[in-house]
Amino acid sequence: MKLLITGASGFVGKYVVAEGLRRGHDVKAVVRPQTDVTRIPWHDCDRLELVRIDLRQQAELTAALVGVDAVIHLAAVKSGDFYDQFAGTVMATESLLAAMAEAKVSRLVAISTFSVYEYQQKRAHSLLDENSPLVTKERVINRDEYSQTKLIQEELYREFGTEHNGKVTILRPGMIYGREYLWHALLGAEFGSVLLRIGTRGTLPLSYVENCAEAMIITAESEGAIGETINIVDDNLPTQGQYTKELMKRAESPKLYYCPWVVMKSIAGFGWWINQTFLEGKAKMPGIVVPAKLHGRFKPLRYTNKHAKTVLNWQPKYTFEESLDRSCGDQELLKA
Amino acid sequence: MTTVLKAAVIGTGVISKEHLSFLAASPHARLVGVCDLSRAAARYAAQRYGADAPYTDFNQMLAEAQPDVVHILTPPQSHKFIATACLKAGAHVICEKPIASHYQDFQELWAIAQECDRALIEDQNYRFNEPILAIHDLVTQGKLGHIEEIEVRMSLGLRGGGRFADENLPSPIHQMPAGVIHDLITHLVYLALPYLPSFDYIRATWNNHGGGDLFKYDDLDALVIGDNVHARFRFSCTTMPEGFHFRVRGTEGYAETDLFQPYIRAVYPRGGKQLSPLVNHWCNGLDLMKASVRNFRRKIMQRTPYEGLKILLDRTYTALINGTPLPISYDDMERTSRLIDALVAEDNQR
Repeated sequence: MKLLITGASGFVGKYVVAEGLRRGHDVKAVVRPQTDVTRIPWHDCDRLELVRIDLRQQAELTAALVGVDAVIHLAAVKSGDFYDQFAGTVMATESLLAAMAEAKVSRLVAISTFSVYEYQQKRAHSLLDENSPLVTKERVINRDEYSQTKLIQEELYREFGTEHNGKVTILRPGMIYGREYLWHALLGAEFGSVLLRIGTRGTLPLSYVENCAEAMIITAESEGAIGETINIVDDNLPTQGQYTKELMKRAESPKLYYCPWVVMKSIAGFGWWINQTFLEGKAKMPGIVVPAKLHGRFKPLRYTNKHAKTVLNWQPKYTFEESLDRSCGDQELLKA
Repeated sequence: MTTVLKAAVIGTGVISKEHLSFLAASPHARLVGVCDLSRAAARYAAQRYGADAPYTDFNQMLAEAQPDVVHILTPPQSHKFIATACLKAGAHVICEKPIASHYQDFQELWAIAQECDRALIEDQNYRFNEPILAIHDLVTQGKLGHIEEIEVRMSLGLRGGGRFADENLPSPIHQMPAGVIHDLITHLVYLALPYLPSFDYIRATWNNHGGGDLFKYDDLDALVIGDNVHARFRFSCTTMPEGFHFRVRGTEGYAETDLFQPYIRAVYPRGGKQLSPLVNHWCNGLDLMKASVRNFRRKIMQRTPYEGLKILLDRTYTALINGTPLPISYDDMERTSRLIDALVAEDNQR
């Protein structure tokens, strides 16, 4: 297959390109014009073509899509204000989908996120799967910019399916971790070199980056995945405490402080009440004391990868311990 | 009964949040349409701020929604083209700064507005920020004496990231005659103009201290003298922290503020000749303490330096409804546009 992969030089994109090449595909890797890819081991692979464009340049994108069998769309902006993220995530996707329609490329593996789910109204320790409700338009305003823009992005994917007969699969990976990202946002809140751990017993919806990359490529190959929405998490998910303990055996740790989930939940609830009661809800609070954002990161829930395994016939290749060993070792992971 | 004008917005970039939140809350406006080339952006803004419909074609919006007022928030190069269509469709126009890329374009646009008997307003929002209005009161009350110097200074770390620093998809603002500074210089100029009677002497030094091809200029140091009044305009990408400082000096005293961290420091005769320095110190110290509390509250409550925009828009809608003079006059816009052209003109560059 000829795959076009957006966000190819990003944390996840690098692994997806490597996996695509390893599985024998030709890959068009879309990177932004000024990106330096010379340090990525696959940059000079024969079956790789670098496409240097900004996704909002639709005309160039249409030309790049000629002959492509499937698109894996990873590119998104996770930092900056709402307008930065809207431009880099929503408008870039809009441009990509218009270019795909023009180039008559219909197969799309759209990478979404667990951030589109509703958490605050979900019961603790209940199961979060593909049938769980998404955050509503009325409530999404209380979530971070990433959730807001990814939710709009999913709407665009569905429209592409209905308006252009797009063959779309939406993948929602949990927290993707790997060598470049081990002390992740579901463990706690970062304050400089200090990590305030929030909870220890909650199960982490983790997806090791190599496992996740393989699932994305298998999805592109799979006819049966068309029209499906699939959550991607690993097997035998660790709790926050187990993850931290295993990681500390292998890697340097930031300075850690601890706050139980119930305490943090109460603080956030109190802060919310103060804001609504005395400040007309207009005060801007740090994310961890905004209940909708706090629940989205730390609420203890259960997760499953049953649907992914059934539809994709996929099995996460590496266990949690193996994933940490690979992440903390010096083995080259990005060879094509 | 309150008169309600049908309002529409073209362009949904960062500044649209301020316009749209005003329109969503104003009793004088009903948002009938939001237009953007991006369907997703138009749809999002329309839904978020309760517009009747989103559009991707502004001509279609003008024909279908028939707005009384259109807010044009697109890149400056498109203002003349879009504003002309809006005016000819019978809508008043509120246009983001700079209203036109060149003075000549402004004059042509103004002529079209006159022909169509429609209002044309440039967003000169900082003129309506509380500290600027307070300083203006001090001047008009004569407390600072005869004004002889004005200094307007903006420091913004534009090279450190964000929209203007993106080399992958350069902002269209870089194509303006003065590059990115052209997007901001309107603010510097219109704040000084009420105190600058004429432009007899103009010297502007434009630099690209940071180098590279993306930025045409990243630094401006300009001096304008008119009728013995000196106005200095400074723009810097490197002097930190970010700030927007405005200072007027008269024959009796001076007043200054920073619009990004608002406070007022005013020194003028108070308490008699002997006690004046002491009274000024005490008064300014007290004001600074109050400002620090106020600014903390502003930060928590997400108040932005765009407070003046809401006042400007409110006054504009009220004036349009009542047929009274608009808060920004032809002279305000004409002099601003003319001085910007002069500052950019090669003849005045040293």
